[in-house]
Amino acid sequence: MGEQAAAVEFVRRYQRRVFGLAYAMTSDPGLAEEMAQESLIKVWRHAPVFDPRRGSVTSWVLTITRNLTIDALRMRRAIPTDPDDFAASALLSLEHNPEDAVQRGDVRAMVRAALSTLPPEQRRAVVLAAVYGRTALEISEEEGIPLGTAKTRIRTGLIRLRSAVEQLGDVEEGR
Amino acid sequence: MSNDTVCEQFADDLAELALGILTGRERVATLAHVESCAHCADELEHLSRAADAVLRVAPEVEPPVGFEVRLFSRMGVDEVGARRRVSPPRWILAGAAAVVTLVVGLGIGLSMGSSTPRAKVAGQAQPTKAKPVLTASLIENGGTVGRVSLYGGSTPVLTMDLAESAAQGTVICEIVTDNGATHKIGTFRVTNGYGAWVAPLGVSPGDVRIAQLVSPNGAVIATATLD
Repeated sequence: MGEQAAAVEFVRRYQRRVFGLAYAMTSDPGLAEEMAQESLIKVWRHAPVFDPRRGSVTSWVLTITRNLTIDALRMRRAIPTDPDDFAASALLSLEHNPEDAVQRGDVRAMVRAALSTLPPEQRRAVVLAAVYGRTALEISEEEGIPLGTAKTRIRTGLIRLRSAVEQLGDVEEGR
Repeated sequence: MSNDTVCEQFADDLAELALGILTGRERVATLAHVESCAHCADELEHLSRAADAVLRVAPEVEPPVGFEVRLFSRMGVDEVGARRRVSPPRWILAGAAAVVTLVVGLGIGLSMGSSTPRAKVAGQAQPTKAKPVLTASLIENGGTVGRVSLYGGSTPVLTMDLAESAAQGTVICEIVTDNGATHKIGTFRVTNGYGAWVAPLGVSPGDVRIAQLVSPNGAVIATATLD
């Protein structure tokens, strides 16, 4: 496959995911497009140094998208999507019968199902940390809770998600 | 070397390190501990996978019209290989990907390749392997604001798309069957009057008389009569 064809394939494989993440974080189509384009260009340009031992391509692409979007939100003092709305947009896609997702080995559906089972305060803390890069101190201040409570919510929520992810084996999906 | 007491002291920090939110001296100390503790190194790897997984739950969303053209131009890619999209209503953001993902997951399969007109993705979901059993316009205050389609097969589903509706925020999708019973299909989110989703129907498409969009307080927002 030529480089041009590979670039087209790469973009078409990831653009909906990358734009979807940026849009879910910002609720701003313009900013989301900007972030999605920057992310895809950055990943494409750095593809030669990608080390598969350090994780999947999907994780790499989405992490870069997240980081660029966090930076843009901070620099522009833009208001990010409320973490509850972010979670809601993810859970919107949750099937009525998560067991079907298990049988199909649908990773995202499984993680969505696991996220939906978290107590709301843990889900919010995990989303604030994992998606918006908020530190425990920032979460404690924003949520008006003691630092120890923020840390506990983050840790407990992540450990619960870990259990779900481990059931799935390799998180990398077939697309 | 693992020491339960020492490891326990790093439990919170390990989770925060996995999430990439640990900074300063705590980060340095935790990294140093992980270097010397195989148990915590393994724990960190597992927690990191869980943290990565959170980013994956965001729904896929079709980028705006012209996204590929602009991107390929910046990447220096000849867009001949990137077939242009046509028929580009710009309203497919929230929910459209969820529709595509779930319908594909249900084995119906939308024609959603890059050459697919955008309108097909969310506006009028065009199945390649299944055709709707019933379809009807969604009417709000006398005007058409969307479309409802019912698909049969082993798992009957309903798709609903919405554009320029007065609805905003959380809405409930219901169906009314021939016997007058009302069934809640699901709760969805409308952004600025736009949305699209799919959900298992739970009844035979032929039994559905009405599909409607209802506000959380029970007020009917829009109705589709399926003849």
